[in-house]
Amino acid sequence: MASAGSLSRIPLRSVLFDWLQPWRLLLAGCVLLAAWLVFVPLAALFYTAFAEDTPFGPGAATLGNFIDAYVENHIPLLLYNSAVFAVGTAVMTLLLGALVAWVVERTDAPLRELFHTLALLSFALPGLLTTMAWMLILSPNIGWLNGALRSLFGLSAAPFNIYSMPGMIWALSTHYFPLAYLLMGPAFRVLDIRMEEAAIIAGARTWQVAARVTFPLLRPAILSTVLLLFVRGLESFEVPRLIGVPAHIHVFTSEIQNATRDSPPHFGIAAALGMTLLVVCVAGVYLYRRATAHAEAFATVTGKGYMPTPQRLGVWRWPVALLTTLLFVIALGLPLFTLAWQSLFHNATAPSVAALPMMSADSYRYIFGYPIFLSAVRNSVVLGAMAATVVVALTFVMAWIAQRAAKRYGWILDSLAFIPIAIPSVIVGASILFAYLIIPIPVYNTIWILLIAYVTMYLPYGMRFASGGMVQIHRELEEVAEVAGASPLQIFRRVLLPLLAPVLVAGWLYVFVLAVRELAASIFLSGPGTFVLGPLTLTMWEEGGSYGAVCAMGIVQIVPLVAIVMVMRRLEERVGVGR
Amino acid sequence: MLQVEDLGKEFAGVGSARIAAVRDVALSVPEGRLLTLLGPSGCGKTTTLRCIAGLERPDRGRIVLGGRVVFDSETGVFVPPAERGIGMVFQSYAIWPHMSVFENVAFPLRVSRLHRYSRSDIAQRVKTALETVRLGGFEERRATQLSGGQQQRLALARGLVAEPRLILLDEPLSNLDAKLREQMRFELKRLQMKLDLTAVYVTHDQAEALALSDEIAVFNQGHIVQRGTPLEIYRHPNSEFVADFIGSTNFLRGTVRKAAAVGAVGEVETQQGVFATTFAAPLTAGARAIVSIRPEDIGLAADGEGVPGTVGARVFLGEVIDYLIAVKGQELRVRHRARREYDYPVGASVVLSLPPERAMTMIDEAAS
Repeated sequence: MASAGSLSRIPLRSVLFDWLQPWRLLLAGCVLLAAWLVFVPLAALFYTAFAEDTPFGPGAATLGNFIDAYVENHIPLLLYNSAVFAVGTAVMTLLLGALVAWVVERTDAPLRELFHTLALLSFALPGLLTTMAWMLILSPNIGWLNGALRSLFGLSAAPFNIYSMPGMIWALSTHYFPLAYLLMGPAFRVLDIRMEEAAIIAGARTWQVAARVTFPLLRPAILSTVLLLFVRGLESFEVPRLIGVPAHIHVFTSEIQNATRDSPPHFGIAAALGMTLLVVCVAGVYLYRRATAHAEAFATVTGKGYMPTPQRLGVWRWPVALLTTLLFVIALGLPLFTLAWQSLFHNATAPSVAALPMMSADSYRYIFGYPIFLSAVRNSVVLGAMAATVVVALTFVMAWIAQRAAKRYGWILDSLAFIPIAIPSVIVGASILFAYLIIPIPVYNTIWILLIAYVTMYLPYGMRFASGGMVQIHRELEEVAEVAGASPLQIFRRVLLPLLAPVLVAGWLYVFVLAVRELAASIFLSGPGTFVLGPLTLTMWEEGGSYGAVCAMGIVQIVPLVAIVMVMRRLEERVGVGR
Repeated sequence: MLQVEDLGKEFAGVGSARIAAVRDVALSVPEGRLLTLLGPSGCGKTTTLRCIAGLERPDRGRIVLGGRVVFDSETGVFVPPAERGIGMVFQSYAIWPHMSVFENVAFPLRVSRLHRYSRSDIAQRVKTALETVRLGGFEERRATQLSGGQQQRLALARGLVAEPRLILLDEPLSNLDAKLREQMRFELKRLQMKLDLTAVYVTHDQAEALALSDEIAVFNQGHIVQRGTPLEIYRHPNSEFVADFIGSTNFLRGTVRKAAAVGAVGEVETQQGVFATTFAAPLTAGARAIVSIRPEDIGLAADGEGVPGTVGARVFLGEVIDYLIAVKGQELRVRHRARREYDYPVGASVVLSLPPERAMTMIDEAAS
């Protein structure tokens, strides 16, 4: 071939020199690092699953773990519970999310901007805290809403029971429905109302327009959202751990953690369960990717000169807005209020005027004098900042290579960074634990092992921000600098970095928020000296004795998160990230 | 100043297929001249320009810039774009939105590896460059606050500020509206003459090419089909493609009756009659040929010798009138100056004449 011929004529020395330039080495380093992060835990999971569990680590090859896991842990029941939980959550979040997406993107209802902000906000809240709040509201014993309804209607039994499958689905759905909105919003927004108008002019009735035009056009978006929510439901840990375990409704994630908590720990069984869950999640994510690839093909919904025209609701403007407000009041307001209220009392206390005199800030005084909490705050903030910095830097370089330097191999980097999306956090935590018990790199029981986990888990999000931002930058902006005489580093520093800065800051904040509120992976990796907020909050909830102190810890976490969400909202307006 | 020899560049196609984007391209641009690469989209003109800039690495060939070999596939020489000392203006202008007008223009000076510029030197040169493109006083504006035409001039100032040996312009006017484009055409020509710039200019707009160029290279399907001054290309197209792409023309198909050397007058027999024409390509007697004649070159009279026809349609365009004249078997477009004595109504009988020096005979590509 001609190109091969001309290549062979280039002296080897100049090729080597070309490749040994510092910035090329930096690129190669980033790729290797990402590959290590993604594949080492998976290999460890695989190895642990197929090796005999011994007190000295993995032993001889065996299938025993799978047999034990499938027989002793009642795999059919686990599958059934996980499936019902995930499907229930997906359907419920889809309905709520679609309602919000329609109101915000397709109508002229008032308060639409507020709803968008509230959606971002409730998505940023730690699932652990909202789950705790729902237990304080809907527990048959201490739930204040149950108590209030009982005394109001003279009921003998509590009307709601959070310790049930519907309770679990409710607790997760109220937390996840903003995600459904955020996923579907763009599809709702770009849907050209003229397509609907064409159907109306053709004589279709409202329901016919919806059934024959609107829904088919949105189907790819809806389908992919359902799939992703289903996978998210399978992966979720907080609700199964807090509500499922006491209710004896076990799913994969809670069972995996349970197996590692046995004494002696059953790492092999945990790994075998993890492999099973991983296969299901990978299949789900694969289907999701296919569905969204298909959705791209539907991108014909946009066109030149297209202007989104909202549906005029007329007299229904305010009723629709109030209904949506009510949804947020229940799903977001109720848990937040409960946490805030409870943080002012030592014992579980129902909101009432009678309780007001007993209000005190003792819980806050307690936690701010509690050294373990303070060190957990410090660990979480430092880890979150480090993870965000590493993820943003790494994915920035990866996105640059994928889109500019080596476009032909870009898909490898894109897939590499995307893989962790399909790995439930519980499995990331467990596999990293296995990996660094086997590999003699002394990170076990240090904060570095947590950093490794966070960076691995949040690579996909970093990549989404970085490559999304890079796509928007016209290539010629870099080329003109190159022609003008700038070196690759100068182009990075003086052109790319300033242009991408808002996107990178948004990505940094996003990863920071996720890392600070993380529980599912941290619970495997944080130890007595390396407590972070998630596991510490869980331990306090289960063993601490004071609801007030735990809720105060929650409020202390939520307040800065709200501030960060507001900053992100501002950035979003500037650069269009996320929307 | 610039020599390009035997340039070739392939891209990966579907599967393992390779698509030749550019092949056998040879060019030379003397100092102070403007060469235009003209052709339809996808013809390889932009790839050629990017190879000259160093943004693409060719598979074959040699590029010499100001006496220095900047690319040679034989010896493996490849000078990166940053060290070639060229200026470039992109189609999208590529104005950096995060920098002020001043910083955009100053950038090439700040990063230059060929010279070190002092702070006052930079300020002076940027000022001069901005004044040259009539953007003096805009230094502190944000680049995004400029209009399309101003951004275009800013891109030009940035390309010129380091006094490059060669400036490359990639469809610099195509994003402007028609009126502004015409105005900028003059501006560019004035600048090029005044600064004695050596330039390679890529466009798909034939009017732009004719107006600006010292020489035009017409591209089709990855190679150059004709090179010449604007007048040569327009008057003496050497192929059906060039005749059709540049200006508008009429084609008459037929066979060679009396062959002639290239540039000499021979005879071609068509359905409309036998015509004496200038041969633009080597053709032997009996070969299939095509005669191209531009609408403004066809003579039109009420009577006399020539091809009889009937006015089928008439369009008044101000200074000229366009006619569609039905002759035996086809319609010809004829353009005439609008003068009362030559105005023929629809349905009038007329006689057409084809001056031999303006009727060009070339190979009939459809027949061969």
